[in-house]
Order: sequence, then structure tokens, then C-alpha cells
Amino acid sequence: MIASFSAESLKARKRWANWILIGILLAWILLLIYLTFFLVVTLSPKSIQGPIPASVLKRRLFPENFVPSVLNAGSSIGAAIMLIFGALSTASEFGWLTVQTILIQKPTRAAVLGGKLLLLGVATLLVGVAMFAAAALASYAAVTLDGSSSAWPTLEVMLKGFGALVLQLAVWTAFGAFLGIAFRSAAAAIGGGLVYLFVGEALLGGLFRNTPIVKEVLKFLPGINADGVNAAFPVTIRDTGATTQLVSTGRGVLTLLIYLVVFSILSLLIFQRRDVGGS
Amino acid sequence: MAQAFAVETHGLTKRYSTGVLAVDNLDLRVRTGEVYGFLGPNGAGKTTTLRLLSGLLRPTTGSATVAGAAPGSPASLARMGAMVETPAFYPYLSGRDNLRVVAGYASLPKSRIEPVLKQVDLTDRARHKFKTYSTGMKQRLGVAAALLKGPDLLILDEPTSGLDPQGTIEMRALIKELKQGGRTVLLSSHLLNEVELTCDRVGVIAKGKLVAEGTVDELRARSGGIALLVRATPLDQARRLLESLLKPEQVRVEAGAFVLSVDPSQAASINRRLVSDGIDVSELRISEQSLEDLFLQLTENPPGVTG
Repeated sequence: MIASFSAESLKARKRWANWILIGILLAWILLLIYLTFFLVVTLSPKSIQGPIPASVLKRRLFPENFVPSVLNAGSSIGAAIMLIFGALSTASEFGWLTVQTILIQKPTRAAVLGGKLLLLGVATLLVGVAMFAAAALASYAAVTLDGSSSAWPTLEVMLKGFGALVLQLAVWTAFGAFLGIAFRSAAAAIGGGLVYLFVGEALLGGLFRNTPIVKEVLKFLPGINADGVNAAFPVTIRDTGATTQLVSTGRGVLTLLIYLVVFSILSLLIFQRRDVGGS
Repeated sequence: MAQAFAVETHGLTKRYSTGVLAVDNLDLRVRTGEVYGFLGPNGAGKTTTLRLLSGLLRPTTGSATVAGAAPGSPASLARMGAMVETPAFYPYLSGRDNLRVVAGYASLPKSRIEPVLKQVDLTDRARHKFKTYSTGMKQRLGVAAALLKGPDLLILDEPTSGLDPQGTIEMRALIKELKQGGRTVLLSSHLLNEVELTCDRVGVIAKGKLVAEGTVDELRARSGGIALLVRATPLDQARRLLESLLKPEQVRVEAGAFVLSVDPSQAASINRRLVSDGIDVSELRISEQSLEDLFLQLTENPPGVTG
């Protein structure tokens, strides 16, 4: 598995698509979540501002709130980016037929996929570090530019927040990798995954959140459980847009862990048993 | 390699989930150290067989031993190199980096890469991306990847497919070179001429079944011996004479010429008789079509295969 991991890391490092995905994610955090919000709140005339004063709203961007901000990014754009990353890493092997080049080398199929999943795990960890660092840096810049003061979260909160972020990113990466293996097509895996993420779970879940039957189903979905985890890291200002969480933080963490394991095992089972090539 | 056979299959059968029977009860034996040509028309089951031998597909029934172990097992894969169907590499990586990836999976030292690049004459283009390679360069990189392990058994699927004449000649020379040192080479092709030029023995597959196997000469003999092609006029007079000299079933007419199923050593005496009877002989040579005839006969209407 170490040999496979080594080969996988070379492939991942040299693939521009991966760097572009990470670039989009970091740009989203820095430019959209921080810079745009900061400029809108700072520059918009008082006549069009809402009931919450700009000086209070801005605190969302300050270090005291960088953990909930990065978690929010992780469960939206982060989920989409990691799903694409996971799907590309597995589905491309089928598209290019490189899966057969790999499988006629020495390692077993389990070792090949194990190496790939290990690489995806390490990459997810590094993406989590990059997101955390970008959000922390942007929040520091925001509070410095504003000339205000803000306390950093405690080390414990930051570590727990980092763990929550990486867990969510890992689930979506594993989901993407599973879809890539199941569909053997990057387009189908990414398309199907994003439709589920943004239409199936986010849109329908939002519209029918209060329907009793749908509500029970939603409690088992990864996005809803990620929201339950994120709820453990509230922003320090009154959040008028906050919705009632359907699951507790503990249940959210447990469900996400189960999803991570299930997607990995399903990927392995399919990869182990399926014929490669032919019709 | 201690085994008598580098590849041995028993009743190997592959039926896809779509119901297509691609390989049907195949018994194949490739001797250690030989170049074995796996010959058949497109869709005959060659690539499916090679996928089965590489462990990419699992057989529906039957068994196989490849390089002394079960197909697809680490023990088998460690001793074989293969290029199945098409050279498949990462388009965004250079040729050299692609080999680094392959070497990584196979737990091989990077020092193996430069010698194989040199062997397939790809050193100068090794730093360029795979997606910029010509068909011939892709094929050569495929062979290089298959050679990385220094395998006892080399499986090459249609190695000259898509190559221009110069590339085909170079690939044939490379295959002959690869045989040196006792390496076994199993190559598939739908080109009769190719296996004739490169292979020690040939197996002909049609509709998933092995319909003939032997050396090229053995297959020729099976087709009725090496034939003589005679072009003579007047045609009717020549036919009467030839049928009186030989058995009628040894004489047939194809495209205005006689194809005689006789030993080529009889060429001089046949020529003398024709000329002495006042028949003009404009062409007399060993027929190069006999093996092709057998190939067509075997693959278009294989014995024991219906439908």
C-alpha cells in the first residue's frame, strides 16, 4: 500500500486539476467569504443596512468567528470541491484506462485502492490545513484593517473545529471517490454528486425540512449531519439566519464517521470484484 | 523460469454479463522461451483472453496459470509485463513520469527507467507529456512499461496496431530483440504477416475458440502443404494436363491462376511438362497465400463452432 501511495502522490502532485480545485476553494474563502463581505459591510450606505449594525456584522469576519466561517465554507463549497477531487481521482483512471496499467503491476487491488484512499486522506488533511490557515489569515487581516480587536478561539476550539472540518471534507472526498468507482466516468460521478449535494440535499432538504417524513430521512443525510456538527461552533453575534439543527453534534460526528467508513468499504468491494475492461 | 509452459489455460471461458461469450473453453499452452502469436480477426476473443491472463477479468469457468501462478496474483504479476489493448498512461505526465508511476506501483527502483527508455528509443522524448506522443511513441512507452520489471513473460496486445510501416518494422525488430535471453513473448495480432515474421508458434482463435495451433510451417502443412502458383495458357489445356499429373483435389483455379497443393520441389518437373506440351507458363512460384487461406477458412468457418 505504501508503494501505491507513493505512486499516487506523484500523480496527484503533478495534476493541474487538483491545484486548480484547491485554488478555487481558497479563492472562494479569501475573496467571497472575507473580502467581498468585508467590502459590502464596510462600504454600503447606512440607509440600506439592515437591523444589525455593520460594526456588529463585521465581527463575523474577525478571528473570534473564523472557525464557524471555515466550517461553513467546508460544508458548502468545500464539500463540492472535495467531491470533485475524489471523483476525479478514481473516475479518471477508468476514463484513461490507466486502471488496467496499474492493476497489471505487482500490488493487489486492495493495496492499489488502499494507497489511493490514503493519499486522498492526506490530501484532505492538507486541504483542511490550507483552509484553516486562509481563514485565520483573512480574519486577522479583517480585524487589523478595521482597527478593532477580537480574541482568537481557544486552542481546544480550534482543534475541534479542525477535526470537524477534516471529517466533513473526508466524507465528501470518499463520496466522490465512491461515485467515481461506481460510475467509472468523471462526468457522471461529478454530475451525480453535485446534483445530490445541491439539489437533493440542500434544496429539497431546505424546502421540505419541516415535513415530518422528510425530516426523518434528512436526519440520516451527510449534509444535515455536517450542519449538526457545525452547530457546535456558533458565531459570536446573533445569527438571524440560523435554522434549528435536526441532529445533535454527537450524532452528526458519528453519522459522518459511518459514512466515511461505508463509502470506503463500498469502493473497495466494487473495485475488488469488478472486471476491468470488456463488455 | 522453471515451468515448461509460461502460460497454460484449461477450459478458460468468459461470458460477459451482457451474455456475450467472448472466450469459449480455451486450452492454451505457451512454452517458456518462445514467441507465441495469438492470431484472430477483430472480435475473436484475443484481448479478452489477454485480460483474463493479466487478472483484469475473472473467468466464468476454467483456470489458468501465468508465469507459474494464478492470473492477477502478485506472484504472477511480478514476473510478467503486459500491454493490453492500448498503451494507457496519464496524459498530463511525461513519459518518464509515467514510468516513475508504474515503477512506484511495482516497487521497482527508479534506476530501471532510463535503460528501458533507451531500449525502446524514447529517451529524447521522455520529458514530453504523454498526450503529445504519436501512436508509435505511445506503443513504445507501453512496451517500456511492460519491460520495467524485467519480466520472464511479456504479453503484448496488437503491438503494431496503428503504426506506420517504419514503426511496424521497428516494433518487430524490438520484439525479436526482446526474445533474447529466454524471455517468453505472447503477442496478439489480427495480421497474419506479423505473426509469420515474429512468432515461433501460432494459435488461431475464432469466436472465442482455439481453432488451430502450431508453428507457421505446421499450419501451412495443415492447409495442404505449401502450394505452387502457376499461371499458364491456354487455361483449359493446362488444367487437363495438371489434373492428369496430379489428383483433381490438388488443383484449383483462383483469379486465373492454378494453385497446386504439391511439394515445391515438383515445380521444375511440372514446368517441364507444361512447356513440352506447348503450354506457355508466365508465372510459377510458391504460393504465399496458403497460410492466409487457412486463416480465413479457420476464422470464417471454424471447426466445431456454429453461429
